[in-house]
Amino acid sequence: MLLPWEYGVRNLARRPIHSGLTLLALTTVILLIFVVVGFIRGLECSLTVSGDPNVTLVYSMTSEENIENSAISAQIPDLLSASMSATVKQFGIAHHSPELYLGTRVTMAEHSPGLGLVRGVTQSAPLVRRMVRITEGTWPQSGEVMVGKLAATKLGVPAEVLQIGNQIEMEGKSWKITGRFAAEGSSFESEIWCDLSDLQTATKRQDLSLVAMLLNDRMAASEVGLFCLERKDLELRAIRESEYYQTLQEHYRPVRILSWLIVGLVATAGIFAGLNLMYGALAGRIRELAMLQVLGYKRIAILVSVVQEGLVLASAASLIAGGFAICWVNGLSVRFTMGAFALRIDSLAIFVGCAIGLLLGVLGALPPALKALHASVAINLKAV
Amino acid sequence: MALVELSNVTKQFTKGEQTITPLDQIDLQIAEGEFVSLMGPSGSGKSTLLNLVSGIDRPDSGSIVIDGTDITQLSRGKLADWRAENLGYIFQTHNLIPVLTAYENVELPTLLLKQTSQQRARRVQLAMNAVGLGDRVNHYPRQLSGGQEQRVGIARAIVTHPKIVVADEPTGSLDLKTSRQIQKLLQDLNQQLGITMLMVTHDNEVASIATRQLLLNQGKFIDGHTSPSVRREGGEALG
Repeated sequence: MLLPWEYGVRNLARRPIHSGLTLLALTTVILLIFVVVGFIRGLECSLTVSGDPNVTLVYSMTSEENIENSAISAQIPDLLSASMSATVKQFGIAHHSPELYLGTRVTMAEHSPGLGLVRGVTQSAPLVRRMVRITEGTWPQSGEVMVGKLAATKLGVPAEVLQIGNQIEMEGKSWKITGRFAAEGSSFESEIWCDLSDLQTATKRQDLSLVAMLLNDRMAASEVGLFCLERKDLELRAIRESEYYQTLQEHYRPVRILSWLIVGLVATAGIFAGLNLMYGALAGRIRELAMLQVLGYKRIAILVSVVQEGLVLASAASLIAGGFAICWVNGLSVRFTMGAFALRIDSLAIFVGCAIGLLLGVLGALPPALKALHASVAINLKAV
Repeated sequence: MALVELSNVTKQFTKGEQTITPLDQIDLQIAEGEFVSLMGPSGSGKSTLLNLVSGIDRPDSGSIVIDGTDITQLSRGKLADWRAENLGYIFQTHNLIPVLTAYENVELPTLLLKQTSQQRARRVQLAMNAVGLGDRVNHYPRQLSGGQEQRVGIARAIVTHPKIVVADEPTGSLDLKTSRQIQKLLQDLNQQLGITMLMVTHDNEVASIATRQLLLNQGKFIDGHTSPSVRREGGEALG
């Protein structure tokens, strides 16, 4: 038979300041866990949704895995279109997107310059980059750009700086912002898009970084790969876009491992906060716990009651931290080397945060409870 | 047949290299409805005996049979169940739980019995009435006087209708006036409700309310059946 639920709950009110401070400490710890897990989930999701399995990227063999370093001939798109039957075609238009992609210094009025990611595209880009949606304004014409949802974060400036109608400077030229776009949380959202030929002119380049091809089926990627292998003179390399971002995920694996390590360290700190509360709370109740045993309550019932106390506090902390995380942390954008992404407090993050929160309650309560119940009842009855 | 029967009970403690024997092969019988007081100097084994009869400590040898059950043979879990059904314990300091009301404190032991909530409520109310606090059920311990708190402690001890109630210096922390009220209450409970009691006390006056007084010294009972004789044979430690 367990002790009444009210016993555990009301015990928390015995030392209200101490319980309040512990609640604050646990809430902070769990909120930190939410932030770190939100970071990991945001990074993972950004890279996962960025890769379309039907899209294959063709870029320079010599650039290894960094598309920014790639340079391929401007004739490659036509060559691929003529040679590949697997490319999606509609109304005679091949769905491939020649692109020039680079990181460059972007200057905005009254703000220090930032490193932006710029993609020069043609009007066929939306045929291949199917997740891109213009949320405001229009497609950029000559001398114009449209900016992704997280471009401001990537540049380290407030979102208002990249409002439609504002001017930015890059590659020695002034550009007018005419549109804003979203891309379902993918890495494109941290980019600035402009007209390909405009960017080529500004950068004095005639080449491309890559060609993105939308293929009929996923197996067709091997056909493109075979073409690249056969045409050694072109020094091309083909990779399915989803695989490309998978490779990036591997690249950021140490960051994710480090983040999980931080989750572990923060959780450990939380356990100490819980231990501190429960050791303090039980130190003054040793005789009371012995009295309960004299009345006939078994040790396990008392243990469960003490754990209940820890759990009630941890649950309250999890709820507060979870609510705060959903309302204020979810969607916060973070600048990162590959661009920017939004912290993501999804169901998995909530599950991890709450599970760790509840674990803190249990682990914080168990050792002091076991210690208090370990000594003999007769001795504990004499405890001061 | 005695309700409580201790046979050849020995209890020893080891402290460093020294072995202390607070109870040395003692025998004791307590009849149903009897009120026994236990006196003795500090370290004479009174509390040890009380703990053994309560089933919160185990003897090194001997048997303790209460209402036909040898409690020395019970496992820890069974012993807890046995205590819940058969034992009432009155502590020196009432040991009430401060976050529970008087009613909830008294109700605690009844939660371990197989009873409906109505049966429990009736028992709690009866116990509270028996100690004269029927109108204080919703008060928290901090809202009660020392004497009232001890009365709630007594109500908690009798609420399960136990076979035996043990009391560890029940008036030890009370002033004289309150102490006398509690003595009267214990006497009434024994005489009117027929509750079997075993009480440890240092106070001759308190011991005198019992129907039989026992004196322990160095782990053995000393013949002593009245308060004056206890005072005479118990020595200076009894005061």
